[in-house]
Amino acid sequence: MSALLEIRALHKQFRGLTALDDVSFDVAQGELLGLIGPNGAGKSVLINVVSGVYAASAGTVWLRGTDVTSLPTYQLARRGIARTYQNIRLFARMSVLENVLVADQRYSARPFRTLFAGGRREDCAAAEVLLERVGLAAKRDALAGTLAYGEARRLEIARALAGRPRLLFLDEPAAGMNELESEELAAVIRSFRAELDVIVLIEHDVALIRELSDRLVVMDSGKVIAVGKPAEVLADPRVIEAYLGAEEADG
Amino acid sequence: MIQDYVMQTGINILLAWSVYIILLSGSLSFANGGFMAIGAYVSAVLTVKFGIPLILAAALAGAAAFLFGIVVAYPALRTRGLYLILVTVGITASIKVMIESIDYVGGIQGFTGMSGASPWHVVTLVLVVGAALWLISHSRLQRMLDAVREDELVAASLGINVVHLKVACFGAGAFIAAVAGSFYAHYLLFVRPEDFGILPSVFIVLYVVLGGMNNLWGPPVGATIMTLVPEFTRGLAQWRPTVFGILIVLLLLVRPDGLLPFRVPTERRLRNRPNNP
Ligand SMILES: Nc1ncnc2c1ncn2[C@@H]1O[C@H](COP(=O)(O)OP(=O)(O)OP(=O)(O)O)[C@@H](O)[C@H]1O
Ligand SMILES: [Mg+2]
Repeated sequence: MSALLEIRALHKQFRGLTALDDVSFDVAQGELLGLIGPNGAGKSVLINVVSGVYAASAGTVWLRGTDVTSLPTYQLARRGIARTYQNIRLFARMSVLENVLVADQRYSARPFRTLFAGGRREDCAAAEVLLERVGLAAKRDALAGTLAYGEARRLEIARALAGRPRLLFLDEPAAGMNELESEELAAVIRSFRAELDVIVLIEHDVALIRELSDRLVVMDSGKVIAVGKPAEVLADPRVIEAYLGAEEADG
Repeated sequence: MIQDYVMQTGINILLAWSVYIILLSGSLSFANGGFMAIGAYVSAVLTVKFGIPLILAAALAGAAAFLFGIVVAYPALRTRGLYLILVTVGITASIKVMIESIDYVGGIQGFTGMSGASPWHVVTLVLVVGAALWLISHSRLQRMLDAVREDELVAASLGINVVHLKVACFGAGAFIAAVAGSFYAHYLLFVRPEDFGILPSVFIVLYVVLGGMNNLWGPPVGATIMTLVPEFTRGLAQWRPTVFGILIVLLLLVRPDGLLPFRVPTERRLRNRPNNP
């Protein structure tokens, strides 16, 4: 049986810069995959290519055996791919609840029908449950732009989940959080695992990634340099060197 | 006299809404003077040369502009921001040049023979378009458009077909501007290409900027003020553009989002809708 998500020989070129260089790996049904690597390794670019934000320069993304490499972004979303952003991108002038409601794909698939919904009151129950689960129920009417950092990150997760996705890509969801907040976040992520086929988690916090991931993919300079169980991969000399090298370069 | 006020104000409200509906999806259009020209000339030819009744002619002219709007929207909406503004300015400019070169409609001399538009037509149309916009503002469509306006890319990654919505808004704006143009032509009885140049397009956008673009009431307020104030200060006639320029700059310093800047969250509107059994 083939994997749920197969990434094959993916390349992404930005003018002179090669951000993804022959990236290949699989993600299996039910898996929580950690994606790590030093700054500039190409982790975010990979998510952007898989979610249709950037077009691949070469290579293929297979989703359940279908080539989805050149599908437009909204089509990928409708096939169950959802994501968050490293630099938080909420709809700042919309309320917290609206940010979740707008992601309901039952309506975005037929936007003009919503004009004739009659006098029916909107059902916000599902969205409110999601907000509850990420701990934002009390903030439902606040403008998203007024949220604190950790709250905004959790709202991005709730919004991503509102479309009932099968695959969730989280780009550094714990960035900027303190230890307590990232513990809470880990609990939130764990609580959603059973409802999703695949979670791909980009994270610099090694403790968090070790705790959550079934398997790790390590990237450096656009290449995959290691794949495997967290304990093995984190002990791999090449991985240690990639991180140490990056740290030395940072000063 | 009062008829003239109603007519001019009504037409300008429709034009302001035609820009507003395109703005709903985040695009600023200076093409609406051009769409208005299409409406004016197509409907005029239909009534004068083919004897088609005005209302039907206006609807057909609106449909023609809608199709034209959609066809140009696909390439035009590949650009954003400043570039899109320049493209829409180009659309207006080329429509004008095109009409000037068609002898069948009188070229730069203009076209005449139309009649029959009354303020009632325009008032009815304002009510119909206003009701449609109200319906949008109380729907999930409005929320999707808000999302597109705030961040197209994120909207797309949530499953919203951004191109579809933007093109539809562009077409709808073209339709409204063209129908308004139809009644304008049949009220003035005589139109020239220069009635529809860049300047009218800029004025229409200014109505919206003045009134505010975050709710459907801003554009008609802006259009009404900008139509009626100069009428009551006739002495200033030749200073009109200057006075407006200064007014707009002052206003934007004080109220950068226009006179009526508020936005009601769609969720609250939908929640407060009466519950039909
Ligand atoms: N839109 C873009 N245009 C040009 N270069 C880009 C673009 N996006 C990313 N890059 C480059 O691609 C490389 C990989 O970037 P990417 O954001 O994927 O790194 P990352 O692994 O996510 O790092 P970090 O941990 O810092 O987020 C970097 O050199 C970056 O500068
Ligand atoms: Mg990144």
